[in-house]
Amino acid sequence: MAQSTEDERYRQSTQFRLWSYSPSQLADLRAKTNSLAKQNISERLSSSVPPSSGASLPEFLTPAEEELLLRYYTVETLRAAEFCALPTSIRATAAIFLRRFFVTHSVMTYPPAKMLKTCVFFGCKTENYYPRVRSIAEKFPNTTGEEILAGEFLLCQGIRFAFDIRHPFGALEGAMMQLRTLVDLNEERFQRVYTRAREILKFSPIVTDAYFHYTPSQIMLAALLIADVELFDRIIDASFAEHLMAGNRANIAGNGDKTVATIKECRDMLLQEPPERMTEFWGTAEANNLVKPLNKKLRKCRDPDRFDLIGLHKKRLEFREKEAGGAKTAAEDDGAVFGEALKSDADREPKRRRVAGEDPFGPPL
Amino acid sequence: MAASPLVERPAHPPSLKTAPSPLRQPQLAGAAQFSSANGTPNGARPAAPTSQAAGQAPLLDLAEQLNLEERRKYVKGKKLGEGTYAIVNLGHARADPTQLVAIKKIKKQKEYTEGLAPDAVRELKHLQELAHPNIISLLSVFSTKDQNVCLVLEYLPLGDLEMLIRDQDGIRYGTADIKAWMGMLTRAIWFCHENYVLHRDIKPNNLLIAADGEVKLADFGLARSFADPWSVMTSNVITRWYRPPELLYGAKHYGGAVDVWSVGTVMAEMIVRIPYLPGNTEIDQLQLIYDRIGTPTEENWPGVTTLPGYIPPERIMPVQPKANFLQTFGTVGDEGVDLLFKTLTLDPRKRITAREMLQHPWWRAEPHPTRKQDLPRKSASLGEEKMAADLKRQPGQTATEEDRGKGVARKLDFGSAMK
Repeated sequence: MAQSTEDERYRQSTQFRLWSYSPSQLADLRAKTNSLAKQNISERLSSSVPPSSGASLPEFLTPAEEELLLRYYTVETLRAAEFCALPTSIRATAAIFLRRFFVTHSVMTYPPAKMLKTCVFFGCKTENYYPRVRSIAEKFPNTTGEEILAGEFLLCQGIRFAFDIRHPFGALEGAMMQLRTLVDLNEERFQRVYTRAREILKFSPIVTDAYFHYTPSQIMLAALLIADVELFDRIIDASFAEHLMAGNRANIAGNGDKTVATIKECRDMLLQEPPERMTEFWGTAEANNLVKPLNKKLRKCRDPDRFDLIGLHKKRLEFREKEAGGAKTAAEDDGAVFGEALKSDADREPKRRRVAGEDPFGPPL
Repeated sequence: MAASPLVERPAHPPSLKTAPSPLRQPQLAGAAQFSSANGTPNGARPAAPTSQAAGQAPLLDLAEQLNLEERRKYVKGKKLGEGTYAIVNLGHARADPTQLVAIKKIKKQKEYTEGLAPDAVRELKHLQELAHPNIISLLSVFSTKDQNVCLVLEYLPLGDLEMLIRDQDGIRYGTADIKAWMGMLTRAIWFCHENYVLHRDIKPNNLLIAADGEVKLADFGLARSFADPWSVMTSNVITRWYRPPELLYGAKHYGGAVDVWSVGTVMAEMIVRIPYLPGNTEIDQLQLIYDRIGTPTEENWPGVTTLPGYIPPERIMPVQPKANFLQTFGTVGDEGVDLLFKTLTLDPRKRITAREMLQHPWWRAEPHPTRKQDLPRKSASLGEEKMAADLKRQPGQTATEEDRGKGVARKLDFGSAMK
């Protein structure tokens, strides 16, 4: 009983409700995001002033290439957060924010290298750290607080205002405590297993799609399975034995098999990116050969307007000014209502809000 | 251990309340006629934005489509109130106009120039996860065109507990009613703690009342997850009158007991119908606790003198025995006073927990709690105003402080968490 209650509770979380997909659903979403971005950028380029001289469109990134780049920038996020001396939970949260954001946005639309700093800053906030934005910006070359903040609202909307990420780190602490009550081993072995499993959790599930497909406890158990098969078996046996004793004999064998099969799938995913890979993502010839051409390709096919977060922000201000100074009917116009998502200091002036922002929902549709 | 063998990988799109399936609709009907909800400046082009050829209007990103879909589920109605923190409007579900909602638009904070304000981050983070009959439901979240965040909350038209407590001439209630309200409050706080969330701002005007009489805990602007043992928390939380002694002494490591103290002070207030410990300053607050409950000492609270903000008292008042509580609060009976006494224990380690509260014999003692539909209530029009006033308020203020325009009761020092 207790177990199924826990499962029900997890199913209420935003991580399950909004951010868990089957592999095919996730692939479909990414393909759709990619094709929308291609369409959008094509239209922007062909209507830009002056029209692109050659009129030929650049070659766009494929969904597979986007995924590869995203993996690279996920590692960059982890490195950036580590460089800022932030604790493990914030590093992981920031990286998962980035991965979620780029499910429904293309890396061709918004700059992953900039969004990752926004993820680090906002990850701090959601984990109860409130550093000044400047103190984060100062850690990076050519970075301003303004730039980090320019992406914040975009990020919040992109992650669907779901700020609570369920990590498997706490689950590992719990599993180690349980193991100590189950098996009598020397402390060195416990320490070795714990250290290895934690190393895996800090990297492998974060740079792969594990968080989209598996629960935190499944991910934790997969890491334990990699670290020590014997201890993994002990904990699984003990968990299902409890159920046997509780009289839930029916379906136990089946559920146990299903659970172990799922954990093994998860293990295979984690093994794609063992923690040792963290240092291979930059500097090595292999990484250079892979990532450099992709970044080069990205520079040619990115969104001409949206890739520049600060420029975008400034143009929004100008657009807003024009809007406010111009037609007063703007607020009644459907297109204008949904069109101008403007953020400006001017928003804070009640006078201006009256002109352009009377009804945040727009007129009746 | 938290192994969940029954959870499989979701085989279907998560079909729960706020999970639309973007796959079912390749493109939102009519979405293309709008320009980007992210406000990519059409103005960058020489032509006026509206003169853009229809076929060239940018398509919405998937994220923008999802946001628009959420926004379209609700229709905004009249404004119920506006404060410095938020604007609250009445609204209803587009699909079902009888389903009323409160739409709370969070305003940008002038004094906070670091992006989305911490109150909003905290409230969103926790309300998104907590679904319980005694906690206000967050039905949806979406962003508006002017980059504000809107929270769609369940509509709670009957005001709050504070206005029932204060209206001594108009509202009569008894022990059975107090027991019903306390039961709902205790279940709410038990659920928060069960999910490792500290509310940190429990007080009568954060307890809103639904149309059916159910009490709902609201305002999660000061909430946070339980901290890991080594990390520090701010002691500058909970409105002063409801703040426990360990926070007044500046404790940086604490747990659910801080909320339990607040629940105790709320229970006392329900019984006597005036705030039980209405201190004017933090020193005054401590003095009231010494006088009415007792002075913390190393004997009754080992280690209290080592707390960072501990102040040696001028003279020591003995801890009041339960018999003295009976004189003041006896109307709720022996068991009721026993429960109150245990929530107002000085040493947080000895204070009753929310789970233990639910197991207390008072709930089963006579009289039985009033059925929620029979609870005393205010008229809906008054309640609506009060709800709006409660939802738009910044966390941590007492109503009187706000009314007097004294400003924020205390300011959170968000910088110190980093140290």
